[in-house]
Amino acid sequence: MKPLWLIATKEFSDRFRSGWVIACTAVWLGAIALTSLFGLAQIGRIGVQGYERTVVSLLNLVQYLVPLLALLLGHDLMVSEREERTLALIVAGGTSRARVLLGKFLGGVLTLAFPLTLGFAIAGTAIGLAAKDRAVGSFLTLALSGLVLGVVFLAIGLLISTCCRTRVQALVLALLAWCGAVFVFDLVAMGVVLSSNSAQAALEIETATDAMHVNSAADLHKAFAGETEPRPAHAALAQRSQTLASWLLINPVDVFRAVNLPKPAALAVPIPLATASVLLWLGLSLGGGIWKLQRIDL
Amino acid sequence: MNACLEFNQVAKRYGSVRALAGVELAVAAGSILALLGPNGAGKSTLFGCLLGLIRPSRGEVLWQGQPIRDADRRAVFGYLPERIALYPHRTVRDNGLFFARLKGHPPAELERQLKRVGLYAAQDRPVRQLSKGMLQRLGLALALCGQPQVLVLDEPFNGLDPALLDGLQGILQEEHARGATLLISTHTMSAIEPLATHAAILLEGRLAARGSLGELRAQHGEDSLEAVYHRIARRQRSREREEVIA
Repeated sequence: MKPLWLIATKEFSDRFRSGWVIACTAVWLGAIALTSLFGLAQIGRIGVQGYERTVVSLLNLVQYLVPLLALLLGHDLMVSEREERTLALIVAGGTSRARVLLGKFLGGVLTLAFPLTLGFAIAGTAIGLAAKDRAVGSFLTLALSGLVLGVVFLAIGLLISTCCRTRVQALVLALLAWCGAVFVFDLVAMGVVLSSNSAQAALEIETATDAMHVNSAADLHKAFAGETEPRPAHAALAQRSQTLASWLLINPVDVFRAVNLPKPAALAVPIPLATASVLLWLGLSLGGGIWKLQRIDL
Repeated sequence: MNACLEFNQVAKRYGSVRALAGVELAVAAGSILALLGPNGAGKSTLFGCLLGLIRPSRGEVLWQGQPIRDADRRAVFGYLPERIALYPHRTVRDNGLFFARLKGHPPAELERQLKRVGLYAAQDRPVRQLSKGMLQRLGLALALCGQPQVLVLDEPFNGLDPALLDGLQGILQEEHARGATLLISTHTMSAIEPLATHAAILLEGRLAARGSLGELRAQHGEDSLEAVYHRIARRQRSREREEVIA
């Protein structure tokens, strides 16, 4: 346990010294503040709104930015130690490769959790005070699931970092993974489902990916404001909320969206299944990373 | 011979390239083994197999009769790589503390070793500001931390001026005197000859000769380790030429 913690705290301290943590905190705080203030501009509202409406605005930000930050952090964790040849010295000293990888992961989690938690805490407090809103549940769900989303992508980044020989290679692969998870997966899934004439599943995909589209996001806000009726498709979907949208579980970003979509558009992704999906991604990424690392000649 | 380390038919291939071809070598406890050979002979690969950095394609390394599979069993080794790689933006002390703590050694032990190699005064300097000789001494201090039972030194004499070389030889003699086993790969025959008790010569991944220094000198009718090495290397080259002609 001690080597693991030593490696983790060194990683956090290195990132802090290099300015990564501070830069990440600044970017995150800036983005979260702008989104909270201007996220409802599409329906003509400026300023801090209640928690539930802010959550809809923040959905886009979290689903794009958190996986990107996590992958940018994770892709560098192992490959830099290999390139600098410090990994050989650590392993030769009697620290197992699995401990090195888990220590790096833990250090990455600390590094990522610091700015994210700080951003959510400050934004949550500001919203609570400015909007005098006490229904903090949806915001807490967003914050917690956003952190989990980051941790999953950090593990994926670490796997990429372990499999690549150079930092450039790892960076390219990490960016491709981000594009794949955030943009490409939904398009491919939609195409596959539509081509197989599964209309209901296509509707579910469309709903879950609505948060990607500005106009649809505006519709979701309106649904909250009670200014219009929810789209018929959403209403019909809510009635079938028990449908198991198993395809959602493949992509952590879609799991995150499904967990956080507001009630009118809610999809039934049971929490135990969402948790199992997250654990599976973590297990595969970390297990795969350890398996690969043990087969690398240093 | 009371062997503490045994290389049992250790072989390593990188695709079609053969780095080690079934090396069979026993290292006596408390000895200083000089591992000699030209560049690319497989010396660093052999050390890599011992330290868990490289997975042998075949064979295994035994420590006190047991295969070294568990990383914890490698805590008895102190290792100085050929090119020491540390965290350049961190200070000598920070680097030292990180690696010493990983092996479970207290800060006092690091301080003792830094004083021993003459780097204590530079402990607050970032590693990127160190000269090659200072970096080598820092690497040695890290390898010496915790009085390891086996010291594995890969080309430790490279790039050292005569004063540093003399200091390093003194430290290695002290380590030998306290009972440590030393494995040293080098091209600098003049530096290793006064220290080594045994020698092994690797040529193209094969062990061409091994034994105590006295045995090797007597066997090949030479009066220095360097002459023995050149004789064996010449013989190997002429054998290869004959094979090509045949």
